[in-house]
Amino acid sequence: MHQSNILMSLKDARAKNNSTHARANTLGPFSIDIKSNERIAILGPSGAGKSTLLQIMSGLYEYFGDIDFLSKPLRQMSVQNLSYKRAFLPQQHEAAFNLSGELIISLGRVAREHDPELIEIIRKSARAARAEHLLDRSYQTLSGGEKARVHLARIFAQLWDQDNGILLIDEPLAALDPGLQIELLLAILKFCQDRSLALVAILHDIQQAIEHFERLILIKDGKIMADLPSHPAPQRELEILYEMNLDRLTRPGRKDLLIPSGLRCSYTN
Amino acid sequence: MNHQTALMYAIGLIVLITMALMAVITGPVEINYLNSLSAHDELVENYILWQVRLPRILFAIAIGASLGLAGALTQGLFRNPLADPGLLGVSSGAAAAAAGAIVFSGSWAWVIPEDLQIWVLPGAAFCGALGICFLLDRLARWLTPGSVMGLLLTGIAINALVAAFIGLSTYLANDEQLRNLSFWTMGSLAGANWMILSLMMFVLAVVFFRSQRLTLQINALSLGEAVAAQVGINLKQLRQGIIVMVAILSACAVAWCGMIGFISLIAPHMVRAIAGPDHRQVLPLSMLLGGLLLLLADTLARTVAIPAEIPVGIFTTLLGAPFFLSLLAKQRRGLI
Repeated sequence: MHQSNILMSLKDARAKNNSTHARANTLGPFSIDIKSNERIAILGPSGAGKSTLLQIMSGLYEYFGDIDFLSKPLRQMSVQNLSYKRAFLPQQHEAAFNLSGELIISLGRVAREHDPELIEIIRKSARAARAEHLLDRSYQTLSGGEKARVHLARIFAQLWDQDNGILLIDEPLAALDPGLQIELLLAILKFCQDRSLALVAILHDIQQAIEHFERLILIKDGKIMADLPSHPAPQRELEILYEMNLDRLTRPGRKDLLIPSGLRCSYTN
Repeated sequence: MNHQTALMYAIGLIVLITMALMAVITGPVEINYLNSLSAHDELVENYILWQVRLPRILFAIAIGASLGLAGALTQGLFRNPLADPGLLGVSSGAAAAAAGAIVFSGSWAWVIPEDLQIWVLPGAAFCGALGICFLLDRLARWLTPGSVMGLLLTGIAINALVAAFIGLSTYLANDEQLRNLSFWTMGSLAGANWMILSLMMFVLAVVFFRSQRLTLQINALSLGEAVAAQVGINLKQLRQGIIVMVAILSACAVAWCGMIGFISLIAPHMVRAIAGPDHRQVLPLSMLLGGLLLLLADTLARTVAIPAEIPVGIFTTLLGAPFFLSLLAKQRRGLI
């Protein structure tokens, strides 16, 4: 592996959490190298520490250990410079004051002082996120799926003219219908591929992870349980991760399917 | 700026100017240049026009604009259409500090040179407003993070605390100080003169231009603090900037006019209902509408019971409190 190829590297990174939320201190340490253009899915049961890991990567939370991003220590980058190279799509969104779709998308680029192509970029990123028809709508009239598209377009706008950055996604698709999930996931994958952006996504759908991501990081009880390629599908590790049995279906010409078939014996007893 | 917003600014300005002209000719002494051959004493008329009425009208507009801007900024900061410097205790904080200054500074008033005396009350009010702003931001963040209800309840508690301090000052005050004090609690624009007016205009202009650079960041803040940070906004800097601006505006308004409630709540609200939630428009239009509302209230306050004058603070509260209740009713139906 060539050194310059590495976009972000975590060495023994751990959340520095001074709140009463003591559990965060038991999460990690995480050590991961992320290459540019890499597609990584983070899988694990609820509460395993996936979101904490993603938040540390986003650079807005204090951490112990070392994280380098673009060959610089992450904690030394300004919020503004970081926003040019890193975008984060959270699981849930809020919007006070009922802003319009167009305004929300434009806020992806709010940190740029001079942005001559703003209007063009808003239009293009709205199209990429299938949100062109939502530009004039006010936020509170949007359905859940439409809100997700608007926020996706905002993320696209943020990194539209960047390459060699990173996109972090915290299962924003989980609450959407299956068709829309695939539609938006493909839009995200294309966006990242076109710009050589690394994509790190927390997912709940094993199949989406295996099908569309080349590397899986499995998080269990606050530790990295396994860090492995998605092909061949790691059936045994996923069974241990979720403590359930999976059936493997082989399909000619496509990746294998892993389907939940029941809880493991330890739970059914 | 598109045609629609340009039209709104134009209409607002025209209404404001028309109202100001009408306010000039109404009052206990009628001023009527068309009728200048009548028995009126022109000297008296001129004096009233230039030294009493005109400064007062412009002062009403300036104070109303400050209150409107302070309200819009507060609502933007707390991401909440019900936030308001009056409701959250910021204005009371300024008034309490001013009351403290009136009552407890009597003994060392001679230390301060004559020229600086005009700044004593605004200075004290500013410290009070600033202190309450930071206290509120910290307390609400610490006790009830992310909760609108928690923020308003914290505001109520602070308001009560500050009211107790004002009460204490009132209790300890002598007769003359008491007369001065009652001014703060009622709010009046009767103290207007060119000197104070130009100071207020200057402060307002500085804060306005400063706030114009933050409008997009305030927009981003409405997506939540986490998202705002991710799109590259320095939250700490932004919050402190807004707090200082709100404190300056509230302090000047309170120090020179006492407590004038509800303008800062209503103006941004009406603007949002008319022109939409984009803070690039909400801030300047709230100033315009705030000026308009206070001018209207003040003109009514000094003309409905000629020759007596109702304190304008009482007037705005009379109108504002029912409006606030109607907001709550709307929120209950999920319209906000």
